[in-house]
Amino acid sequence: MATLAASLPTQTRARSPQMWLLRRILTNPPAALGALVILLMLFAAIFAPLIAPYPYDQQNLDYIEKGPSAAHWFGTDGLGRDMFSRIVWGARSAVFVIVMVTAVSLALGVPLGAIAGYFGGWADTIIMRAADILFAFPGMLFVFFIAATIKPGIINWAREIGLSDLARTGYLDYAVVIIALGVIGWAGLARMIRAQVMTIKEREFVIGARATGVPAWRVILRHILPNAITPIIVAMSMGLGDIALSEGYLSFLGIGLQPPAPSWGNIIAENAGRYWRRFPEMIWLVFIPGLVLAAIVFAFNFFGDGLNEALNPEIVD
Amino acid sequence: MADTAQDQSLVQVKGLKKYFPITQGIIFQRKVADVKAVDGLDFEIRKGETLGLVGESGCGKSTTGRAILQLYRPSAGDVFFKGKDLVKLQGEELRKMRRHMQMIFQDPYASLNPRMTVGDIIGEPLEVHNIAKGKEKKERVQELLQIVGLNPYFVNRYPHEFSGGQRQRIGVARALAVNPDFIVCDEPISALDVSIQAQIINLLEELQEKFHLTYLFIAHDLSVVRHISDRVAVMYLGKIVELTDRNALYKSPLHPYTKALMSAVPIPDPVIEEKRERIILVGDVPSPVRPPSGCHFHTRCPIVMDVCKKDDPAFRDVGGDHWVACHAV
Repeated sequence: MATLAASLPTQTRARSPQMWLLRRILTNPPAALGALVILLMLFAAIFAPLIAPYPYDQQNLDYIEKGPSAAHWFGTDGLGRDMFSRIVWGARSAVFVIVMVTAVSLALGVPLGAIAGYFGGWADTIIMRAADILFAFPGMLFVFFIAATIKPGIINWAREIGLSDLARTGYLDYAVVIIALGVIGWAGLARMIRAQVMTIKEREFVIGARATGVPAWRVILRHILPNAITPIIVAMSMGLGDIALSEGYLSFLGIGLQPPAPSWGNIIAENAGRYWRRFPEMIWLVFIPGLVLAAIVFAFNFFGDGLNEALNPEIVD
Repeated sequence: MADTAQDQSLVQVKGLKKYFPITQGIIFQRKVADVKAVDGLDFEIRKGETLGLVGESGCGKSTTGRAILQLYRPSAGDVFFKGKDLVKLQGEELRKMRRHMQMIFQDPYASLNPRMTVGDIIGEPLEVHNIAKGKEKKERVQELLQIVGLNPYFVNRYPHEFSGGQRQRIGVARALAVNPDFIVCDEPISALDVSIQAQIINLLEELQEKFHLTYLFIAHDLSVVRHISDRVAVMYLGKIVELTDRNALYKSPLHPYTKALMSAVPIPDPVIEEKRERIILVGDVPSPVRPPSGCHFHTRCPIVMDVCKKDDPAFRDVGGDHWVACHAV
């Protein structure tokens, strides 16, 4: 026995497939490109004050509607604000909204979906009918409805608790966007989680855990969710671009972030409204923020596709 | 092993039934039929014995094992274990009883959580029953690994790094972790290589002796069941048709179904094997949704009588602790 033990490995170790996964993503060109664009956006969002050459709301009325130049890479808008700075700061808005909406969706969707899938019965009926009701509305219409109806409520509430200054600063606009998108976002997530949980709970290792006396909440947390997470990560990584886009058009339509707060959506709205008659000449004012927004949506989609392929090697188109 | 078997029962199963409903409709579901997977079982499992449970695929063997452990809640009947009726226990009370009864699964590739390390898998029962934590838990896990014949340094590895036989040993260690009295072995070797099967069987026998375990051993391999069991129960379409001592069952089966089964076992002696007469049953196993009237076996029975079509034969002791359900016996 002693000689046998000596010949066996004596190091305890944990192998992780993360590095392997990363390699598979980075060797897939569209996914690598997507990852690069996403990283650029994150970098811009985190270091916006350092990267942007001007404050996002600094007006220079002597220098309006100018095309790209060395001092103003993306030109200036009708109030003489530096477009490059506004777009960099816009990344911060976009990232903040993406992160918060995802957090709200996860916080609602994961527990609700897991409860519906694991316990079934009336809990399942109530939760999934609520999700169905959300799905019955055209998605964006419902978001507009929520955004438009909750905003006065939130502003009044801020005034009541003595934060009328806050109501004026525009921070509450973020709350409105996040709540509106998060309230919609949980339903799709809950559906996915529920479907995953329902298949995984019949697998032998889950029955094994129950047989050894593992309590239900722990079965869900330790055994089911970790095995359900892969397809959900893929779907979510594709959905992140849609959140940026949704924030974009809420702001474009004027019920999201309000100027001068920088959002790619309201930058497009401001400039498109003012300059569409002078279309070819002033195109960069609309085109550049639009391109940035489109690039982000594509980037998340490519990245999500790559992630999916990396996680499911059997998928061959 | 027969000497360790005492006439003291550990598990008593009374009138156990498990029906799975077949429903129709999406919102308003109505029950259209039942799959009668287990249709009225009465038997006991004695302390320290191995009770073999054999039968064809789909006859309800696994469902019986799971219904005893309350992994499927029975539709009817009682399961007495350690003086308690498991069927009547709920929630936390039932969970606490699981400390004394465990299960080993058929497929070692499906029965271990792929995202947990071996240490977490084996240590989890210790944690959820508040037996050991932290360093103590790790020591116990390493001890368990050694008991089942694995290197104790494997604690931080994942199931996919092991072979089928090694995984099954991990499954055994998990079942053993809480020092149970009773283990349901649900076809624990049928997914393994023949060369590995013997190792796992020997391990199970060793552990039984060492830790005074009682097994319900579910299998369809008659030779394996003969080797490991003290008594054997034969199931057909949701019912036990015969239950007796292993030797009596293999030497002098009484039920026509058991006779047909036994005639299918090859005999490792060419002279006797030559003379072996096979009883070939005609037809297929009927659907458990609509089992035949009377005796479930009457549609395929070579000695069927009129009474078999009308009356369900009682499962009774015909002498010498030999239980059988047949009108002709």
